[in-house]
Amino acid sequence: MSSTANTPTNDRQTNGKPPIVIETRGLKKTYVGKINVPVLFGLDIEIRAREFVAIVGQSGSGKSTLLNILGALDVPTEGTVLVNGIDISTLDEDGLARLRSDQVGFIFQAHYLLDEFTCLENALMPITIRHGEASDEDRERVLKLLERVGLGDQTNKHPDEMSGGQNQRCAIVRALANQPKIVLADEPTGNLDSRSGAEVFEMMREMNRLSGVAFVMITHDDRLAQAADRILLIEDGKIAEITKDEHKRKADRPTPAELNEPSI
Amino acid sequence: MKPFGDIVISALVPKAYRFEFRLALRHLLSGGLQTVLTVSAVATGVIIVIFITSLIFGLQNMMSVLLTESIPHVTVQVEDPKPKTLDTVENPVSSRIEVSASRLKFIDNWNEVVTMLRGLPNVSDVAAVVNGQGFASKGANPIGVSVVGADPELLDVITPITRDLVSGRYKSLNSDEIVIDTELAKDLNVTVGERIRLTSSSNQADSFTIAGIYNRGQGRGSAYVTLRNAQSLFGLGTSVNIIYIKANDIYAVDELANTIMALTRYEARPWTRDYSRNLTNMQMMGVSAYLISAFSLIASAFAIASVLIVSVLQKSTQIGILKSMGARQSQISTVFVFQGLGVAIIGSSVGAVVGTLIAYLISLPTRAAVAGQEPLALFPVKIIPLYIGLAMLAAIITTVIAAVMPARRAAKLNPVDVMR
Ligand SMILES: Nc1ncnc2c1ncn2[C@@H]1O[C@H](COP(=O)(O)OP(=O)(O)O)[C@@H](O)[C@H]1O
Ligand SMILES: [Mg+2]
Repeated sequence: MSSTANTPTNDRQTNGKPPIVIETRGLKKTYVGKINVPVLFGLDIEIRAREFVAIVGQSGSGKSTLLNILGALDVPTEGTVLVNGIDISTLDEDGLARLRSDQVGFIFQAHYLLDEFTCLENALMPITIRHGEASDEDRERVLKLLERVGLGDQTNKHPDEMSGGQNQRCAIVRALANQPKIVLADEPTGNLDSRSGAEVFEMMREMNRLSGVAFVMITHDDRLAQAADRILLIEDGKIAEITKDEHKRKADRPTPAELNEPSI
Repeated sequence: MKPFGDIVISALVPKAYRFEFRLALRHLLSGGLQTVLTVSAVATGVIIVIFITSLIFGLQNMMSVLLTESIPHVTVQVEDPKPKTLDTVENPVSSRIEVSASRLKFIDNWNEVVTMLRGLPNVSDVAAVVNGQGFASKGANPIGVSVVGADPELLDVITPITRDLVSGRYKSLNSDEIVIDTELAKDLNVTVGERIRLTSSSNQADSFTIAGIYNRGQGRGSAYVTLRNAQSLFGLGTSVNIIYIKANDIYAVDELANTIMALTRYEARPWTRDYSRNLTNMQMMGVSAYLISAFSLIASAFAIASVLIVSVLQKSTQIGILKSMGARQSQISTVFVFQGLGVAIIGSSVGAVVGTLIAYLISLPTRAAVAGQEPLALFPVKIIPLYIGLAMLAAIITTVIAAVMPARRAAKLNPVDVMR
């Protein structure tokens, strides 16, 4: 694992297990508006370094909501969220921005690369935001990552000159640019055909293995969920870890309605 | 190996603002019509400001030059103890003046006073003058005329006569020679070389040869003789009764008059006291120039603000992703302020160049209407470099202010909302 300024606190390391990078206690979220939308009803989650966790659940069950809160892009209505040991409720706007910059990388369903910039410039963007300019070492490191995801010859292309899969691979490198503790991916293969989707997933898996960065990935693709280390299911505002067998059995059922039935 | 643009940015922009600068620059470069529109709005504002100020201040300048070039800017004379009554008011047109009524009050130490005045700041030229009323005649009807006696070289600088001559000469005027205006020449039916008779208000008379005839195009003018002739006509010995001063700064004559009053026992009268109406009119012209400038800048500021608001809306997803990457609110707003600043700098530069060019072009003289006459400019434009600089600065400031509101709006966008 690469060394960063934010070394995980050792007391969180239990029984020789990797340290916890994200932890929630009693996390609740209600969207407040003209009508209040309660989404999450008290979640307790632990994500450790090196893990690759899949989050599954029906559309509208609150997966994105959870991911945004884990990445300090949104705040919980109740409960605590610790990102690398830092309680996000203690942070102001700038503190949250700093936390996202240092600890978290996001990948979304759309690549959201900036049209005005090249692939390399996009991949360097989190560093540019944080430090004004990427150092030569940063550049070298990011270039290596781009080569690893197969974009070595695409670095000077703009997003509109690359395929969806290539753009998403660039977005993976971008999520890793600031050497975060955790990468949060919200249906990263949702816009891709199954072959490029599988490629993108493989790249994430490889980055996870190489750097030890924890990945939390929301997916509707059962095969990808099966390839994760752990599977978390969000249902009725609650979260539960399910075994791969349980997930497989749910996935094999023909209709979505049956997904809601309790499993053995 | 870094791209060339990056090296330039690294050299010019402080590290803390390079992200914001780079993004603002890319927004502008990829902005297409939006960038062109906003730059044009700023440029138009600056063009209007430069055009209006150079035109109005040019007109103002021309008016004040026309107004003051032929009159003394300050006159120094013996103070009148009481205001003049109506029937003694000098009226050169009337031929019914009571000739014996007024005796001129004279400045006996005028040589001293003139030397002192020449040493004062803002004094350009000084001429000692004898000025009184008299009658000009050629045989029959005498016609009232204001008589001015002075050294022709000195007086020609303060109230130009040679310039307005229709025939003959004024400079190197000899004793017993006189220069009159075309009105008087017509009334007396005389031309250069003929002799006329002049009788002063103190009843002295003398004959003069007409050396020159001038036309100032503004009513009846004075008759000019040498200082010595005037002194003897009005019985002043070696004295004079009035001193004319030409100032360098025609608007600082009140101070000059006050200084003279403090230093001498004579009354000093600035031209502004006799032309206060014209002066107010000219000031109003200046005010209207400022008002038009302000309104045009405000109008362009609104145009810029609205285009930037659209730009923020278009970029809202991008703003969301930037925030997810750790961009702070202040960084996001700085991007849009920089964008406004870029528009302002480019727009005001373009506006300054085009505006100055337009002002210059309309200041070019048209072909001379009458052969041999000085060609007239289409407009009396006065291009003031300071005002061009101020117009640019004002445009830049208003544009940045116009950018602040959209920029803050951008900074406050909630990433979760804009990326759903
Ligand atoms: N910003 C928001 N304001 C109000 N309701 C929201 C907002 N975002 C999501 N929701 C609602 O919260 C629920 C969960 O949404 P989401 O987390 O996006 O689900 P998922 O990602 O699992 O499909 C949905 O019913 C959605 O309509
Ligand atoms: Mg979702």
